[in-house]
Order: sequence, then structure tokens, then C-alpha cells
Amino acid sequence: MTHSNKNFVLAYLVLVALPVLGLVGVLRSGRNLVAPESVGGSWKIQADSTKLAALPCGVPLATGSDAGFTISQSGKNFTMNFTNSPMSVSSGEIQELSVKATILPSAGWAKTPGCGNGRALSLIATLDPKASPPSLAGTLSVNDCPTCVSVDFRAVQMDQAKAKGGR
Amino acid sequence: MLNMFTLVLQIAVVLAVCRLVGTLFLKIHQPRVVGEMFAGIMLGPSLLGLIAPQLSSFVFPPSSLGFLNALSQIGVIVFMFLVGLGINPKELKSQGHAAVLTSHVSITAPFVLASFLAIYLYPRLSDSSVPFSSFALFMGASMSITAFPVLARILTERDMLQSRLGTVAIACAAVDDVTGWCILAYIVLLIRSAHTGNPIWLTVGGLIAFALIMIYGMQRLLRHFETVYHKRAALTDNAMALMLLLALVSALCTEWLGIHLLFGSFLMGAIMPKEQKFVRYVLDRFEPIVVTLLLPLFFAFTGLRTNIGLVRGREMWMYCGLIILVATTGKLGGSMLASWWTGMPAREAAGLGTLMNTRGLMELVILNIGLDIKVISPALFSMMVLMALTTTFMTSPVLEVICPQKMLRSETEAATREQLTVGQQLGLNPVGD
Repeated sequence: MTHSNKNFVLAYLVLVALPVLGLVGVLRSGRNLVAPESVGGSWKIQADSTKLAALPCGVPLATGSDAGFTISQSGKNFTMNFTNSPMSVSSGEIQELSVKATILPSAGWAKTPGCGNGRALSLIATLDPKASPPSLAGTLSVNDCPTCVSVDFRAVQMDQAKAKGGR
Repeated sequence: MLNMFTLVLQIAVVLAVCRLVGTLFLKIHQPRVVGEMFAGIMLGPSLLGLIAPQLSSFVFPPSSLGFLNALSQIGVIVFMFLVGLGINPKELKSQGHAAVLTSHVSITAPFVLASFLAIYLYPRLSDSSVPFSSFALFMGASMSITAFPVLARILTERDMLQSRLGTVAIACAAVDDVTGWCILAYIVLLIRSAHTGNPIWLTVGGLIAFALIMIYGMQRLLRHFETVYHKRAALTDNAMALMLLLALVSALCTEWLGIHLLFGSFLMGAIMPKEQKFVRYVLDRFEPIVVTLLLPLFFAFTGLRTNIGLVRGREMWMYCGLIILVATTGKLGGSMLASWWTGMPAREAAGLGTLMNTRGLMELVILNIGLDIKVISPALFSMMVLMALTTTFMTSPVLEVICPQKMLRSETEAATREQLTVGQQLGLNPVGD
């Protein structure tokens, strides 16, 4: 074997074969990693429609037949968009099975009558990932308003987010 | 329902903004395509949606984006056919050991570094519905890709195609893209087969059979295109339509087999005849409509899915910085180390690394697939788009510092003189006559 061939084989072993072995190791060790529970996808809300209508911007939620929300998740953080309602979420977070979000009327709707003068809502819920379909159960309440009504709700996942990523 | 007014308005706005920003980028010595990528981001929630939300929702109402997406996907299918057509992995053979090693290291180094980074990012930016292996492999594949078309454009604009650096870079990028797409096909296969419940061996078997039919059966038939072209110095509209039809049928086959439309069109392009004049002729016929009209729609659609607002807070920007650092270290550093090890001068090796670090449009195509199959989250998608933009944007200025055009021009002239001398000795005409 010539010197240049030896050099090539050595370089190939060090720069290609060794890293590939490293990759195998990474894939094995990564199996034990735990990522936040999945809440991404579309959810349908089941709640008392009268109480829902009493929430800021809640009328469309209570009257629509497909009232619900869509969650777009990135790790423990997510954004949430309500269907049929001008509400948007500035931030939401999942810690283990506990889901918390602050819901604000979107910019154009903050001053609309019935939207609580731009008042925010809090969503606090617990995820049941083992239910079929997965469900969220918790309360929707108006921030800084002890006299306002809070609404107990249950939400079920519409699209099987389990299709995500292949698990 | 399709609203033609909205769709035509969207196309008009996208075309105008892409042309304008592309032209501005040409003035700062960046390829037009980089400007168009930036234009796409500008039209999305990261800029237009932020400063003029009502205008944004008037021009790009969420309910209308399906049609824009469909048009842009047609463009990407044809574009991938053209990418496959332009790639000639045989070029690597003529480059010897150095190029083979550089090419392989430029895949493994970013791939492995990205998978290490995946250990850190998985608990932070993914969720329990994505298996770690899919996440890590996708990160690896997306970081190891090189934008062959953008690279070719940069080399042409800098008059580097005939230089040693240029030829090695093109050969390595060709191999990188073929390998990258094979790995990505495997990842999509894993994810989709788990979703559909079809046994993976059935899909793999089908794909191998399809690839064999294409390579050993279809490739022979495709040579007729080249033969006809050489007889008539042109191809009829029917022949061009047939070529397009074959690309679409191939795309449908790979989609039906369980991977993705784009793999089929890429494969069809890859097995097309590779004679230079024929390739140039086909590219010239298809490129104007794809590059001028359809790709900007893809950039806009990608921009509409990219929300830089999701990358908020010091922690998220740190992840983004890490992604850019790892991608650059793996690709630039890996290629540079390998080529330097095999005897390339350090400055040239650094230039090669810089060229290989160009991800551009190919990265966006891969990232969109990743977001579609939900192996990456929207925030990670936005970070990776920023990485693609940064690594592509930095190529031209960094290259100018490492390998100034003056230096390369003298090398190219020397190479051309050498070719002419050898040609004269062998009694051949100069290339291109």
C-alpha cells in the first residue's frame, strides 16, 4: 500500500468511520431522553355554553358547533388559536401534565364590545395523554377579576397528534 | 373555495417583492436566490404579519394558503427534477481520493455533530410524539445537505467553475445531495410507515424495486431524448411534455410507495442523460418558469410558515445560535479538515469548506418536509430557516476573504492554459466548440 493510500485509509477511519460509530452511540443513548408531553393539534371544547358566552369574546365559542382551539407546540412552549373566536395566546406552557396559557383578544378585537376591553383569560388544565383520544380538563377564568365566572371545560383531541413523528 | 382574486393577488405580490429583494441582493454580491429567500420571510408573520397584520391577513388569509402551497409544490417537484438532472456523481470519480473523502466527511461531520446537538435540543424543542431517533436523524440529514444549485450559481458568478476548488466543490455537493436525500427518504419512510402501520420491509422492497427499474430500465429509454436532441439540436414540445410527465409519474410512484413526491422527481432527473449540452438545453427550457414564477411562491409559502417571533427570549436565541454554530462547524470544518488532510493547501481547503456550507434552497425544501411530517416543531423550523439563510448568506463574503477572486482567476487561467496545451498536443478542439 502506498503512503497516500495509507493516509487515505487512516483519514477515512478517523473522519468517517469513528463519527459513524459515535452516531450509533448517540442514537442509543438518546432513547432514554424524555420530551414534554405532546399537546399539539386540534382540540374540541366541551363546556357549559352559557358560561362560555359570559367570558370575554366567548360568544362565538359558545355558539359555534365546532368550538375549539389549535395548539402549535415547540417543546414545553406552545401557541394556541381559537377557532370561531378572535382570541390568541401570547404564551402557553406545559410542565409534565399541567397546561397553562394566557389568552388575549387579538389586536383588532381588543376594543370590540363583549371582548372584556382586552382583558386576558387564563387556561389551566391537566392533560390525560393516555385517554383515547387524549383529553384536557381544567378551567378558563378571567384574569384579575375575582367576581367573574370561571368555566370548567374538557377538550378532546380531534386529529390524532399521535400520528406526529411516528409514534 | 378557490378565490382567484386572492390567488392572483398573492402571486403578484410575491413576484414583485421577490424580484425587488433579489435585485437588491445582487447589488451586495449575493445570488438572487438568497434575496428571494429573504423576501419570502419578509412576507410572512416575521415581518409583514408583525407590522401590518391586517394587510397580511388580507393578502394571505390562512384559508387561501392551500392553493399557494399547491402551486409552490408543483414548482418544487419540477425544480427537484432539474436538480437531479444537473447532478452527475460520476464527476466525483475523476476527482480522486481527496474528493471522495471530503464528500463523505462533509456528510458525516455535520450529521454526527447535529445528532449530538439533538440530545440537547430534543427535551427542549420537541415533544413526546416524536421519537428521538427520528428527531436526531432528521437534524443530521438537514444539516449535512449542500445546496447544489446555489453552489453552482455562486461558482459561475465568481468564475470558479473551472478551478480545482470549483470542480471539487461541485462533485462533493452532488454526492452530498444524493446521500442526503437517501437518508431523508429513510427517515420519512420510518415515520410514515409507523403512522400507516404498513410493514417497513414492504415499502423498502417496493422502493428498491422502483429504483432498480428506473436505473436499469427507464434510464435506457431516456437516452432516446439525448439521441433525438443530437439529431435535431432541439426537442419538440411533445418531448418536453413527455419528460415532465415522466417526472410527475415518478413523483407519484414514490409518494404512493410511502416516501415523498420530491424523491421521485429527483430520481427521474438523476437518471437522465448527463451530456452537458443536452442538460443545458433542458435546463434552459424549464428553468425560466420554475425559477421566475414557481420558486418564489415556494419561498413565500416557507416564509409564511416561518415565525421568527417563536424564537423569543435569550434561551431560544441561544438554541438558534447553537444550531448555526454546529451546522457551520460540521460542514465547513469537516470539509476543510478532510481536504486539508488529503493535501489541499489550507486556504483552498477553507474555501472548499465555505462553499460546502451553502445550504440555501435545498435546506428549505428539506425543512418543509420535516414540518409537514411534524418531526420538527414550528420554533425549530424557524431556527433552522435562519440557519439556512445565515450559512447561505455568509458564503460569498467569507469566500471573498479566504479566496479572493483575483487569486482564483489566475488559477483558472492557468488551468485553461493547461487544458488548451493538452488539447493541442492531442489534436483536440477547445472545449465548447
